[in-house]
Amino acid sequence: MSADLSNFLMVWTQPDFFALTAIGVFAGIYIGAIPGLSVTMAVSILISFTFSWDVNPALALIGGIFMGGVYGGSRSAILLNIPGAPSAIATAFDGYPLAKRGEAGIAIGISTVMSVVGGFLGIVALAVGAPAISEFALLFAPRDYFLLAIMGLLLVGSLSGESVAKGLFAGALGVAIGMVGLDPMTAESRFTFDTIELMNGIPYVVAMIGLFGISEALVQLHHLETPLVKQDVSRIVPPWSLVRKYLPLAFRSSATGIVIGALPGTGGDIAALMAYDQAKRSVKNPSHPFGHGAYEGLVAPEAANNAAVGGAFIPMLTLGIPGDAVTAVIIGALYIHGLKPGPMMMIETPHLFWFTVGNLTLATIFLLIFGLMGIRLFVKMVECPKGVLIPLIVILSVVGTYSIQNSVVHVYWMLGFGIAGYFLKTYGFEVGPIILGMILGPLMDASYRRAVLSTQDSFSLFLWDLVSNPITFVLAASVVLLLLSQTPFWRPARTGLLRVMWRRGGGLPSL
Amino acid sequence: MITRRLLGAFFAAAIASGPALAQNYPERELTGIIMWGAGGATDVVARAITPSAEKALGQPIVLQNRPGGVGAISTAYVNSQPADGYTLLYGAENPQIHKVMGLSQIDYKDFFPVNVIARGIAVVVANNNTPWSSLKELVEDAQKRPGAIKMGSTGPGGVAHVVNTMLSNVTPFRVASIPFDGEGPGITALQGGHVDYMPVGLSAAAEHIKAGRVKVLAVVNAESLETLPNVPPITRDFPQFAKFLPWGPFYGVFVKKGAPEAAKAKLVEAFKQAAGNEQFTKMMVDRGNVMMNISGEEADDFLAKYQAVTSWTLHEAGAAKKSPEEFQIPRP
Repeated sequence: MSADLSNFLMVWTQPDFFALTAIGVFAGIYIGAIPGLSVTMAVSILISFTFSWDVNPALALIGGIFMGGVYGGSRSAILLNIPGAPSAIATAFDGYPLAKRGEAGIAIGISTVMSVVGGFLGIVALAVGAPAISEFALLFAPRDYFLLAIMGLLLVGSLSGESVAKGLFAGALGVAIGMVGLDPMTAESRFTFDTIELMNGIPYVVAMIGLFGISEALVQLHHLETPLVKQDVSRIVPPWSLVRKYLPLAFRSSATGIVIGALPGTGGDIAALMAYDQAKRSVKNPSHPFGHGAYEGLVAPEAANNAAVGGAFIPMLTLGIPGDAVTAVIIGALYIHGLKPGPMMMIETPHLFWFTVGNLTLATIFLLIFGLMGIRLFVKMVECPKGVLIPLIVILSVVGTYSIQNSVVHVYWMLGFGIAGYFLKTYGFEVGPIILGMILGPLMDASYRRAVLSTQDSFSLFLWDLVSNPITFVLAASVVLLLLSQTPFWRPARTGLLRVMWRRGGGLPSL
Repeated sequence: MITRRLLGAFFAAAIASGPALAQNYPERELTGIIMWGAGGATDVVARAITPSAEKALGQPIVLQNRPGGVGAISTAYVNSQPADGYTLLYGAENPQIHKVMGLSQIDYKDFFPVNVIARGIAVVVANNNTPWSSLKELVEDAQKRPGAIKMGSTGPGGVAHVVNTMLSNVTPFRVASIPFDGEGPGITALQGGHVDYMPVGLSAAAEHIKAGRVKVLAVVNAESLETLPNVPPITRDFPQFAKFLPWGPFYGVFVKKGAPEAAKAKLVEAFKQAAGNEQFTKMMVDRGNVMMNISGEEADDFLAKYQAVTSWTLHEAGAAKKSPEEFQIPRP
């Protein structure tokens, strides 16, 4: 116990570790804020950089960057409507409308505080429940990932804006774009036109930067003459009453974030989107309607994506299985430093667990400090003249896109998506569902086919699987309930026919 | 500022590519293209070997990941650069089957092997709750219940697919193959009981075997391994398998064919030294690899054998899109 405590406190008491964590968080926030620069990339560059270091300082730096980077994406999402990282996509939905209303300061403040709350909850889950949660995560079969993807795709309904039909179209378009590339299961080319550039598909980050960044810049060209919104920076740190009001939502969203983060194969981006969806369904009277600057629309994704950090470490530290893309890179880093990430790591290098918990805790505290610093300066950015801001957005988008895989083709794609996004927006289509489709479409596709392959291509056995397994049943029933609760005949059902409908609801998983 | 640097690099490239200056190679920084994405096995190997190679060369190597097209994007890119020895390719085994899989016309014949660093060894692992205690039992069970046993795989041409094809070439049997996004996700599904067994690189499975979370039925090698002394080689149950061995994934550093001799010599020397680095060797062996550290002709022979065995195996199983004959790949 005292050894655990001293490992926990190692980063706090050794000045160099302390400083490295701080540097990591600071750097992470800005890496996260720039679209295209990702935490995954930063960590893998650090692998060469820290090759000759000891493992502990390297981990202190990496942990800081991870925490900071996941949060940093919210900055550009709120201020410019360009999510700096995929985990901040949901943050843009309500964050940018808030900035347009002149409330960018408080929006960043709330995001920071809720990210910190989520971050802490994720760490608590890691510290207390790691072994149990990782065994639970292993139980998720391909069919469960399929159901999770469907649940996520139902979010299209919340993001459709003025017309559900247009939302569905955009979502379907995203799913179709997500199918481009070599089929992950058979290596068959899909929509590649025999070009090598398309074999790996179109990365959704490329589409994200174009659809959010460039198209927003183009839309802004129509409003060059409209006077700038004066940003209210009198209040940055949200008052305690406001924080307390949103704590229950933050807790619920964090729980989603922890589980999604701990599941191998899903990370902060999906966690944030699902938390946003949950919030939209469950919050009765948001401060403003969702999509028009609801504080709740910031609280949910920001708490969830930082909670997913702790969640992602859970299977990594206990089983050597990465919970998301970043922890996959960290596993590589540990190998290089002579450690052997795997189920034995807790036994062979027991200090690592509590060291990581201590490191992440310290990083979260720094997140609060650095996150609340410099907001006034940042907010000024949106107050600068459009003639300066719009070209800046374009440059940032191009540089960010190129740096993802050093590919000029991606820059063309990004610009193409930008122009397409402009026309889509002009005709009342929302761009959110496209990204959602691109992220979840491939997950749904591969998981469904894995699930059916597991039953020897028998669809009836697949249906039986949906009801015969506890986790799958709960997920399938939730999908059905989510669908039914939005249909017109739910209301009379709720009042009178509840029992009948329940029975029907349980028996219709194939809907 | 970025354009100025790019211009500078461009002029430097134009000047340095003159053969007269090759003696002073390397005069400027090199670029290293990594075939796979950040955090993958190839990426880890590349980033671990590079610091000591940089020291030996006296110039930095700027690393970039260019994943995609099962490695075809990186080979196409390096192949499109001038053959001046300033662009390195950090690659894995994949390009050797690109021709028969119809993915690309470029393979390692178009490159000079600076160093084939190490090869991995495959093992067949199974879920702990499965009844089999040897690979033979698994195969016999599969023959009794065709298609009912679930194998985790990594898609066509991956380790699982090739090993399984080789094995069914020796003894016919049929299983349901369920492809995952990589060896890691496959082993994860194996532990959750969503697949029954999986042939996989030892580096990905070693720690899970050690912890007893999966059981290992055979090593795909002619002899037992020091690290797994109690696990029989695959040739114990299936002696005919020997014709395919040694077989396994590998990692190497390449430059475009036609690079100046002086540059090639310098690179071979630098990477030989780097691959011999103690810390690096330890990491590689710990991950279940066999160090090779070979270059030039010796490496070419190894690459050719790998290509012949794998291409013909895939072709005979009907998994290849084009016949190896079309590309003059000799039958092993």
